[in-house]
Amino acid sequence: MVSQAVFAGTVEEEFKIEGLISPASPKALQSALLKKLAVKIIELRLKKTKTGWPVLRLQFDTETISREKIEKVIGEIEDPAGHKYKVHHGPLLANAPLLDEEQQAIAILGDTPEAFPIMKNPITDKAASANRGEKLFVNNCVKCHGFTGNGYGTVAHGFTTWPRQLWAWNNTGEETDGYLFWFITNGRSDMPPWGLILSENERWDLINYIKTLKNPGDE
Amino acid sequence: MAKTIRDPRIRISRRIKKDKVFKVKVKFDHPSFTGLGIVDAETKPVFSRAIPVSFIRNMFVYYGDQLVSRFRMSSAIADDPLFTFKLKAIQEAPIKVVFVDNQGKKWEASKKIKFKN
Ligand code: HEC
Repeated sequence: MVSQAVFAGTVEEEFKIEGLISPASPKALQSALLKKLAVKIIELRLKKTKTGWPVLRLQFDTETISREKIEKVIGEIEDPAGHKYKVHHGPLLANAPLLDEEQQAIAILGDTPEAFPIMKNPITDKAASANRGEKLFVNNCVKCHGFTGNGYGTVAHGFTTWPRQLWAWNNTGEETDGYLFWFITNGRSDMPPWGLILSENERWDLINYIKTLKNPGDE
Repeated sequence: MAKTIRDPRIRISRRIKKDKVFKVKVKFDHPSFTGLGIVDAETKPVFSRAIPVSFIRNMFVYYGDQLVSRFRMSSAIADDPLFTFKLKAIQEAPIKVVFVDNQGKKWEASKKIKFKN
């Protein structure tokens, strides 16, 4: 077999990290990792990552180190307070599906559905509206629904209700306008009633933006 | 880690009179964690995901065969919470509480109600 050693070699890969719990943890992880493995740390990104999990970017030589090996070593490192690190593999089961008993109980006691009015989106320039909507989305919705609308926002995994995958509304027609406007206006459970905060036009801008969100695939 | 979580305990007065209101106390030793960590202390604190989240999401209260109340919770719930609520003593039937956490795990406890006159 012809050796590929000259061409194979250095790669850069990302790892989602669990266990970064205190301000001391990022440093502890990085110094322990450098002691144990011949890798180069490109970046440990804590903020504004796509899924809310911190992302570690490493450069290493595939001839000598495998991804599995790196994951194993990360799993063995302990921070000074005794917390373990781990490479995260999604999706996160923040909220298991409701048990039959819970479903029956909720059916008996309410969450009663309300009727929502059929409405017509008054905004004609959809592209400009979606552009304004994107800014509103980043400022108000991303922390729960995530940048991609996947429901993986940073703060959302403590909720009783999953913040829903908003890309599901991608390219839907005007028949969904009434529902979306009603839902965003009134909120429900952990979803705030945006009617109290955003103007009607801003809510329509958001709807126009939501309809452009595409399924981002597995996170 | 994964310490086994014991069933909750119910405490009620021993002197319950028919048609009077009585207090029920429920203690459940269950850890609670938002899953978030403070990872950037330099500027202003920034939260990211740190570990999987864990909290009690529902408590159901049954009196006899009837479901009488639901307590809906989020990760803001305390560790080892104590719940207190009132019921009207309409029948000599057991009280049952059922807890479900965000992983779909379930615990329950019950206590008989007997009237004293
Ligand atoms: C605090 C967290 C939070 C924020 C912030 C938030 N949402 Fe939500 N959202 C939720 C939750 C939780 C649900 C599911 C509620 C339920 O079903 O009870 C939801 C549901 C929705 C739904 C319904 C989707 C469906 O499939 O029925 C829409 C639409 C929506 N959100 C839009 C928005 C928009 C637009 C914003 C920003 C202006 C926003 N949300 C901000 C938590 C949030």
